[in-house]
Formats: sequence, structure tokens, C-alpha cells
Amino acid sequence: MMRQWWADARMGFARACVVAGVVMLVPAVWAVAVALWLWWGGSPWTWIAPFAWAAIGTFALSRPVCRMTRSLVEKWTGAVIPPGYRQAAPITQMATGYWWNGFSYERTRRDALMDQRMRLRWRDPAVWRDLRFTMIAPLTAGVAAAVPPAGLVAAVLGFATSSPLVGVLGLVVAVVAAPYAWRPAVPVAVRLLRPTPAMALADRVDELTSQRADATVAQAAEIRRIERDLHDGAQARLVALGLSLATAEKLMQTDPDRARALLRDARAGAATSLNELRELVRGINPPVLTERGLVDAVRAFALDSPLETTVSADGRLRLEPPIESAVYFGVAELMTNAVKHAHATRARISIAGDETGVVVEVEDDGRGGAGVRAGGGLDGLRRRLAVFDGTLEVTSPEGGPTRVRMVVPCESL
Amino acid sequence: MRIVVAEDLYLLRDGLVRLVEAYGHEVVATATTGPETVEALLKWRPDVAVVDVRMPPGQSDEGLRAALDARREVPGLPVLILSQHVEQLYARELLADGTGGVGYLLKESVFDADQFIDALERVAAGGTAMDPAVIAKLLSSGSSTRRLGRLTEREHSVLRLMAEGLSNQAIGRRLFLSESAISKYTTSLFGKLGITDDDDSNRRVLAVLTYLNASSAP
Repeated sequence: MMRQWWADARMGFARACVVAGVVMLVPAVWAVAVALWLWWGGSPWTWIAPFAWAAIGTFALSRPVCRMTRSLVEKWTGAVIPPGYRQAAPITQMATGYWWNGFSYERTRRDALMDQRMRLRWRDPAVWRDLRFTMIAPLTAGVAAAVPPAGLVAAVLGFATSSPLVGVLGLVVAVVAAPYAWRPAVPVAVRLLRPTPAMALADRVDELTSQRADATVAQAAEIRRIERDLHDGAQARLVALGLSLATAEKLMQTDPDRARALLRDARAGAATSLNELRELVRGINPPVLTERGLVDAVRAFALDSPLETTVSADGRLRLEPPIESAVYFGVAELMTNAVKHAHATRARISIAGDETGVVVEVEDDGRGGAGVRAGGGLDGLRRRLAVFDGTLEVTSPEGGPTRVRMVVPCESL
Repeated sequence: MRIVVAEDLYLLRDGLVRLVEAYGHEVVATATTGPETVEALLKWRPDVAVVDVRMPPGQSDEGLRAALDARREVPGLPVLILSQHVEQLYARELLADGTGGVGYLLKESVFDADQFIDALERVAAGGTAMDPAVIAKLLSSGSSTRRLGRLTEREHSVLRLMAEGLSNQAIGRRLFLSESAISKYTTSLFGKLGITDDDDSNRRVLAVLTYLNASSAP
């Protein structure tokens, strides 16, 4: 009990010193500036240089101070505070020859880079949040954390100047406050260092904008594909069908044998177009999905797959149609990958869901090595799931097995 | 034969009625929704029913469910399911009770009226009529391939046609072989699969389908 308390006190003392050291960096800069000004005689005009120096120091130190605080809090309590800084977009040259850095067009790559750095450093709302923290933290967390070291200093000074009352008092304060003094830093950091609502909103807008672009592109491509398939397939065949029937009608009297042959061809043509239409429909929305929902549609897919597949699922699960469709085509793509790329022989699909969302896992015994690569199939799948705030996790070591997990929350609709 | 036709699209329903009437059969009732279908099937107890999968009110699998419900009440009630698409899953559900008298064909199978009526009569007699695509999938899915690996190519094609519901005679005609040659193949393939051969061809086909159905339920 006692020993535990001592350990807490020692650890707390060390942490309080660290917190005080970090959050008091900026006030220290100001203290030095004020000291310089006083040392130079406190005349009305000598304050400018130290003040400018302190201001620059504050700006320069605010981000490192915040980063350190964030990592300390994470290390000590496990609480992760998302930093929310703007990320540098890749700098690309446009067809016009100008360079785009995510914010503006510049004539040269160097200008674009400098402009981007400038904007990331100064126009980021995170800068103001960090500054606010560096102002408030010393007055709250800083003061609290400074108590144990201050007590220790008072004790040392007290004993050195032979005023034992002050020394004992300082020692008691240092020891009693040690286990608790660093703790106020946690709520202060959590409250002031997380992205502000405006920043979170801006991020969300960025995310939604890119998702909308993806969705629009995918939809347009899909409609083009359907149009092309109908135009070259069923439509053309129906024209041929009409032609055969017209000719057969003409030949009915004069050459019944040829007419009969033409009618047979027409029937075969009708069957072929039906087949094509069926495949097309399956690609747009598999009929089983409409008729039975996700679980049975996946079962039907598994039955038709060349892999030996087990499906475990709760049969009563019904989701919103767009989610069912996205998840179904996700499973279909993963199973196709398992056959084509992983050369698997067995697969296991599990579908679990409740009011909060659906979790689908697809596992195969193939050779593995799959990953989400920009522009690849899995990346496309990830984007399609992202539209529903869904996520895709791929575990696929070289040599297999591959396990993919899709999670789609249901409140997104 | 007394027939019930359940199909929600007027043109198709009308066409089906005219087709079976042209072959001298009688349509005793038509139905356009799932509940109507169950009612008609249970009320009329037809010799065979032709049922569409997708019907009102939900435009999902009402027809199929109506047929399965009615067959649960009256085991072996002959039903021929017609659909725009065929799914192994549905075929397995239809075959699961093992009582026969089921058919599952694509709608365009009516293009060949003779074959369609033939299938209808087979189902009415307690036999089966399965779409070739479904049989092909049943034969090639998962563990079936392994279990059927011991069959020769000829035996395989005999098995496929038998599973579709064809008699030895009909199989012989398709493969340009004599009926006795076919029965030789069936005996050997039954031996290899360990299914008891049966003189009644309907029951034999059912045994084959039950065997395939059991082979890989996901």
C-alpha cells in the first residue's frame, strides 16, 4: 500500500515536471523577453526587439508543444487526440502547364510548393487552436503541474537558508501533490487539442466531396456500360429478329421450308437476347438480391462459385437496398479475386449484423499477397463502401490466407 | 390435365393458358398474387400448377414461397416453377422435401412448346423437370466435382440429362444411343455413386437430385 503510493508519487512527480517543462516553454520565452527588456533599462523603445522575438518564438513553439502534449497524453492514458492538421496534397502539373497544390495554381513547382507550405502553416485553423492551447495550458495544467517541483525547490531553499519550517512545508506540499499534479493536463489537452467542430466539419466536407465525385464517375461509367450492352446486344438482336420474321412472313406462301428455318432462327435469336438481358440484369442488380435479400443472394452466389464455400449468416438480416447491393457486389468481387488471383480452393463467408451495422468477412485459403493499391480493385471496393461510411480491412500475408472484413454502419442511411 | 396458372403479367398468363389449352389441357384457375396462388393450389388441387417466382404484393419470391407453402400442406403437389432466371438455391429448396413432382425452368422454355408440355406432363406424373443450367451448376459446384470425378465422360452426360428429368428413352435419343446402352451406363454410374437403382424412373431421378442436393449445402 505504502510502497504503491510511493511509486505513484515518484511517477507523478516525474510527469508533473515533464508537463510543467513542456507547457511552460512559451511562458519561459516571454519571461526571458521581459527580463531582457528590464535588463536593457526598461526604456520605452527597447521593448520592441524582445517582444518580436517572443512572438516569433510563440508561433514557432506552439505546434511542437501541442504535438508533445498530445503524445504524452496518449502515452500515459491511452487517450488518442486526433491532431487534425491539414495534409499536404500532392503537387501536380495540369494540362495548362501550371501547378496545382490543392489550393491554387502557380506558375512553377517551387511557387506551388511554397504557397502550399505557407497555407498549411498559417491558414490552417489548427494554428489558432494550438495558439489558444499554448495560452491556456500554462495557466491551468502548467500551474497545477508546477506545484510539486515548486515545493521541492522551496524545501531545498528552506533547508539551505536554515528556515526549516519553509523546508518541511515545501517537502510536504511536493510529496502530497505529486501523484495528482500532472492529471489536469489530460482534460485540458483533450478539450483544447482535439479538432474544433469547424475543422471536423471541413474535413467531413472534403471527404464527402471526394466521395460524391467517385459516386458520380462510377454511376456514369455504369450507365455507359448498360447503354453499350443494350445497344450492341438486345437491341441489335431484336432488329434482326424483326427482320427474320418479316422475311418469313413473305416466304410463307412461296417457300414454306425456308420460312420455317427462318422462324427457327428467330426463336434461337430471341433465346440468345434473353440470355444476354439476364446477364445484364444480374450485373445491375442480381434478381435473388431483390427477391431474398443479402444473405440468400450471397448463398446463391456461393453455390455458383467454383470454390467450396461455407456461408454462415443470420437469415433474417435485412438491410437498406443500397447497402445490400454494395455489400453483395463486394463479396462477389472478393470471391472472384480468390479464384482468379489467389488460386484458392475453399472460402468462408460470414455475415453478422444488428441495428448498428453489418460485418461481412470473406476468407480464402489462397496464396495471399493482396493489398489495397491506389486504383486497384480493392481500392475501388473501399471507395464504394466509403460512400456508406463503411470500411474495408485486408489481411493477406504472402502465402495466404487472405481475410477481408467489410464493416458498414447502418445509421448512414 | 387440370392446371392452375399463376403469373402476374397478363400477356404471359394469357399466352400460357392458350398454350396448354391448345394441347387439350384445362386451366381450372389463374392467380396473380402469392396469396391467391396458395389459395388456388389448395382449393383446386390441380394435376399440375405453373407458377411464376416473382409476383405481387411484394414483387419478390412470392410465387416460389406460395408453391413451397402449398407443397408443405399437400406433399408432392406437382408444381412447375417458371422464372426469368434460375438459381441453384431455389432449385435446392424445391428439391429439399424429396417428394418429386417439381419443375424449375426458365420462362423461355415455352419457346419449344412440345418440350414444355412434355416437362409439364412429367411433373404432373410426379417426376421432375430441371433447367439444364441449374443441373450444370449442381454438377459443377463445390464438392460435387470431387464426388463425380470417378464418372466417365459418357456417364457424366447421362447423369446430367437424367437429372434434368429425362427418361432413358429420351436420353438415348439425345445422345444417339440405344435405350439398353443408356441403362448400362445408369447401372454403372449408380454403382459408382452408391445410389440404389430404382425401376421407376421418376423415383430414380429424384434419387440423383437428392444426391446432388446433399453434396454441398453452403
